[in-house]
Amino acid sequence: MTAQRVTITYSAPPAFLATDHWKQVYAALLSQLPLRNLHWKSATRPNIRTIQELDVNLVSAEAKQTEHTSQIPQTVLEKPLLSAYIVVCDDTETYRNTVKKQIKEWHSTVTQRKNMEWLIIHIVRPDAIATSGRMFQMKASVLDKIKADFNVEKRDRCVELVWAYDSDYENPTAWADLIGKLKDGILCAFDAAVAQREEEVKRSEGQRQMPGWNFCTFFILKESLANSYEGMNLYEDALDTYNELEILFFQVLREKNLSWFGTLINPAPKDDSLPLLSHSKKPYRDLILANTISVFDFRTYLLARQCSILGYLGHVVEIARKAVAFLSAFGRRLRDIEEILPTHFIESWTYSSALSVVEQCDAWATGLEMNKATIASFNAVKGELVELARHQLDIIGISVGHLPNRPPFSMAFPSNSRRDGGTPATSSTQRISKSEILMALEDKNAFYKVYIGITNRAIELYATAGRRKFALKMHGDLAALDVHRGRLSEALQTFTSLPAHYAPHGWTSLESYMLFQALGIHTAAEKPRDREWIFILLDFLKAYVQDLGKELLMNTEDHIEYVTSLVQALHEATQEAESDLSHHDHPAISVSVPNGQARTADNRDGALLEVQVTNALPCDVPADEVIINLTGRDGAKLTFLENSATPGIYSLHSSQVRMSRLSLHWLHSSTPPPSSSSASRSKKPPTLVSIPRDIRALDVRLRQPRRMELGTPARIVVAFNTGRNHVTRASVKLSAPSGVEFRHNEATLIDSDNDALEAGEDTFVLSDVEADKTVYVSVPHSDASAFHAMRVNITVEYTTLVEPDVNRSLTLVRVVLTSLPLAINVEDFFRGTRLFTRFTLSSTSHQHIRLKSTELRATRDDDGLKIAKAMPRSRTVTTITPEQPGKFLFQLDSARGQDREPLKLHIIYRVLREEVESVIESAVDSSLSESVSLQQYRAELIDTLVQALEKDASWVNRYEATGELIVPGIPVQDGEVGEALAHLIETLANPSSNQEPSGEWREIIIPVDVPQMHIVAAARLRVLSNPFNPDAVESLPPLFAGQPISALLTIKASFHWAPAEDVEKRSYRMRYDIEERTKDWLVSGQKTGEFIAEDDRTFTTSVTLIALHHGHLILPKVSVAALPIPGEGRMKAPLIPSCETYQAHGAEAILVLPRGGRSTFVVNMGGE
Amino acid sequence: MAPQLRLNAVAFVSPQNHPILIRTFEQPRQDELKYHYIAHTSLDVIDERIQAATASKSTDCYLGLLYVEDVAVYGYMTPLKVKIIIALELSDSIVRDADVVAIFKALHTAYRRSVANPFLRLNVPTENVTDHSILVSAGNSRWQAFRKRVDEIGRASYGFVPSPLFLVTSKIQ
Repeated sequence: MTAQRVTITYSAPPAFLATDHWKQVYAALLSQLPLRNLHWKSATRPNIRTIQELDVNLVSAEAKQTEHTSQIPQTVLEKPLLSAYIVVCDDTETYRNTVKKQIKEWHSTVTQRKNMEWLIIHIVRPDAIATSGRMFQMKASVLDKIKADFNVEKRDRCVELVWAYDSDYENPTAWADLIGKLKDGILCAFDAAVAQREEEVKRSEGQRQMPGWNFCTFFILKESLANSYEGMNLYEDALDTYNELEILFFQVLREKNLSWFGTLINPAPKDDSLPLLSHSKKPYRDLILANTISVFDFRTYLLARQCSILGYLGHVVEIARKAVAFLSAFGRRLRDIEEILPTHFIESWTYSSALSVVEQCDAWATGLEMNKATIASFNAVKGELVELARHQLDIIGISVGHLPNRPPFSMAFPSNSRRDGGTPATSSTQRISKSEILMALEDKNAFYKVYIGITNRAIELYATAGRRKFALKMHGDLAALDVHRGRLSEALQTFTSLPAHYAPHGWTSLESYMLFQALGIHTAAEKPRDREWIFILLDFLKAYVQDLGKELLMNTEDHIEYVTSLVQALHEATQEAESDLSHHDHPAISVSVPNGQARTADNRDGALLEVQVTNALPCDVPADEVIINLTGRDGAKLTFLENSATPGIYSLHSSQVRMSRLSLHWLHSSTPPPSSSSASRSKKPPTLVSIPRDIRALDVRLRQPRRMELGTPARIVVAFNTGRNHVTRASVKLSAPSGVEFRHNEATLIDSDNDALEAGEDTFVLSDVEADKTVYVSVPHSDASAFHAMRVNITVEYTTLVEPDVNRSLTLVRVVLTSLPLAINVEDFFRGTRLFTRFTLSSTSHQHIRLKSTELRATRDDDGLKIAKAMPRSRTVTTITPEQPGKFLFQLDSARGQDREPLKLHIIYRVLREEVESVIESAVDSSLSESVSLQQYRAELIDTLVQALEKDASWVNRYEATGELIVPGIPVQDGEVGEALAHLIETLANPSSNQEPSGEWREIIIPVDVPQMHIVAAARLRVLSNPFNPDAVESLPPLFAGQPISALLTIKASFHWAPAEDVEKRSYRMRYDIEERTKDWLVSGQKTGEFIAEDDRTFTTSVTLIALHHGHLILPKVSVAALPIPGEGRMKAPLIPSCETYQAHGAEAILVLPRGGRSTFVVNMGGE
Repeated sequence: MAPQLRLNAVAFVSPQNHPILIRTFEQPRQDELKYHYIAHTSLDVIDERIQAATASKSTDCYLGLLYVEDVAVYGYMTPLKVKIIIALELSDSIVRDADVVAIFKALHTAYRRSVANPFLRLNVPTENVTDHSILVSAGNSRWQAFRKRVDEIGRASYGFVPSPLFLVTSKIQ
């Protein structure tokens, strides 16, 4: 049915209509059509409607009048909207005589017609205007006369068309007036007609509740409006009208006022396969008029009309959307009367209709320009249509047995329908007509082909529309079909790849469904339960324990049983697995430490930590081992394996549950957080685990060796304490993060009897060490003198006699001092053949150091060295502090010219703190030996005392002087411990006299070289009492300031300490120099001079001194230096012998008296 | 008589597209999968709608009919971007948006009340105020109140009668 077009009729004197002139005018008029840009301003509508383009029929009035008019409301366009009369008359006389009459005749007929406008077109020739132009315009023109005669209203309904035969009738200016008048006329008539029709419609609608009102009649009436709009290209208005009709239909439907309709459906043979959107496939209007239309046909017609108007508007997306909604909703409606429909009618109808709508939409969409978003939604909605068709295949497939009656196929059943899956019994004898469906019903393979084809089509449409999730679902459907058809490997592939799409956003229900399918297929395909299977299973369990995970799995009892069997199978599979498997952060099991306080195991090494393992699965999970990893302060890692543990505070790092070869890991805290996504987790405070100290457990300590010898490789002593266990075997490994290397293979036992030590490349192994025994092993290491202290990681792996099967391991971090507590400074003083050596010992730390003895020893006894020590006998222990170093003097006598081995300085010392600690320990031990019950408080008592001493240093001086240890500031406590403490304090304050404090002493051996000197010179200035007899030994006469004093300078050289290789050298050239001290002395004579020095010879020269003032004056110093020996070496470089001079008179002072005597001065007073 | 809207299923989805709660009402057990699928696939359509809404600068929470697949699927997005998806039994009559919006408002209120439960934030670090896992945990099986509220709305929908207010705002008067 094509829309009715606007009609314009024309009339003219018949004679004119027969002329060529008219034919040309007519053709020119047609060429101006269609009309463009009409603006309809309706009183009932708020907005101006613009008609872009309007087709117009131009027919002669006679032809139009012959047409039959029916009673059925047609469009308002059926009758002409405008009638035109064409006048060709240049002459006013003619006009007045004949033409006016003709027009009047015509005018009287047209003005009687309702809803029609009229127009008089006066055609003039351009030359006519030109001629009339030359004349006086005294008389009115023909047009003016027409206007005067017929324009009764305001409206100007007369128009002039200047027409030239040969002129260009495309010229728009010539036509503008006429076209404008035509448009006005049409719109005016249309407006009036519509207003009238609307009035009628309104009146009819108002009578809706009255008896006898007929919806069908009303529909036809109102539809005429829609058709009119459509004819005017006012598609929106047409659509609105149809939508209003639809709403009214539903309203009437609800009011159950449907008596004028025939049945719901009266299926005709081809109903199920005809294109849905064709409104001409049945004589719908006739059926409506006859009141025999079925609801089915009516709805189809209404939809088809709406869609065709939408099609004009290019709204293809909306068409498809409407079709989906209609097919689904009306299909549902038809289900109610399924028993009277042909078998599979609904499915066939929906299927064909959906696909035909897609086709129709594509047809409408060709040539449409759509933006990207619209194309996407067009594809999406087409996808929905195709999917709808697919669902019909699901229903058919299940009912004829091509498909199983289970999800996802059964999802296509309407939610409240029967689901037996069988073919419904029907009373209808008709058959469906869609050939594809009929074929698919017969042939299983044809069905699958159609099914897969349709599904793939939907997937493709969804994919281009960007509807990924729809496409995923379709893939799932295909995989389910594969399962049904036994194509298991394809299905498995799909079902193992699908979960990854559902997992990321926590759609665990769908994820677990997919994994469940995958597991099922795996079993059905009898595939080996390999790695892949285990991971699918773990993923499944993971999804299963989530909240939504089990919603899609059968019913409750079933799935517990199912999961139980899965876990059982998992256990078996892990035992047979070829390699270790690990899985991180599985949520089914969680490991936590509810109480961070570990306990010591009472009679075994190690600590016990309570770990809570929560299993979210509804069944038992067999686990072989639970492992907890803790991280300590120094980054030390501790694996909690039900064995040894280092005391301290740890944070829970990770945990692990092992099931044969499968290990499940959880990371509890991480530093630094591996990614920002886990930021929320890492913000949780770490779980702290504190492991108490087990004093009876195996322990390894490090310390400096008691005896240290500088110049030999550094060693460290490992004190290995077995604690409560007889250790059968223990391997100890030392390593230092600073890079210091330990030479394990050179490890030696210290004072051991029969403990076996096996020194290996990077460990040493102790075997068979009894309980409660400490073994000391000395391990040499590379130079660590650059460090003050050294951090050493100790790893011990050991087994005990009691539990030979348990391998325990212990990781410890110990810090050991590498620097000496003492600093040593050496000074040498040569005096002829003797040497005095002074050692200055000072403490390098704040600690006081107790020195028991210092001794300088020769390496060899036959060295000829005589060493004497200056040491007061009275005191046995000396204390040195940082402020108060100790000085120790030794005198050495040696034979000349021998190679001298270095001497060794032995220092026996201990740090005050060690001493006091051992004093306290021994005091505690002796006091506790009386009471067994207090034995357990030993550590506590020692701690209390040591801490009290640490707080206050006032006891130190007294202790060092007297050995009395006054423990300050201990509050009096009650009870056994308090008493014991009081007793101890008493004991410590009154030590048994004259007993050296117990405890170990340390020893340092420092090698000291014997110094060498080519020349040792002793210079002496001697004041002579008698300059002429230097040898006289008289007492000195009084010396006065200003008086010349004779003095003798003697320099005695000794080559005693000369290096052995230079022993042969007999003499050296030397120079002396008497110091000028101009404030005290004037020196006269040879102040500077050179001389030849020989061993044990004395060089003598005399000088004269004059004291410049009185007092005790010290004699000037004499410096003596050896002169270089020219070019003796191979390099001819001068060699300067070493030389040391001491002033033999250094301590002497001379008393100089003030000058005595009298002087008389005579002063003339004048007067003569 | 007002049309009866039968509510078949409800899904709440977090702003990050994590499912919060999926409930079905008086549906056969084997259709659970269907409604989970619907909740999931609706997210595609909701994305399309959100894009369109952003383009037109619309701030309406109601996203309208998303699609029809044996049931009519409607969407709604709260101002805090929690998506609510409902599946209504298809009816061969005009469904007025106002009626659907009324259901959504009721569901939104149920959700709001449940999320306001301060104990939801128990054991959750306080600095993570915007962490959606809190929202998701509202549908957690441990938090029964939310399910109960949603179930009540589901039950009520079987006899759902829109209030006069909605009749006034509906299309036909």
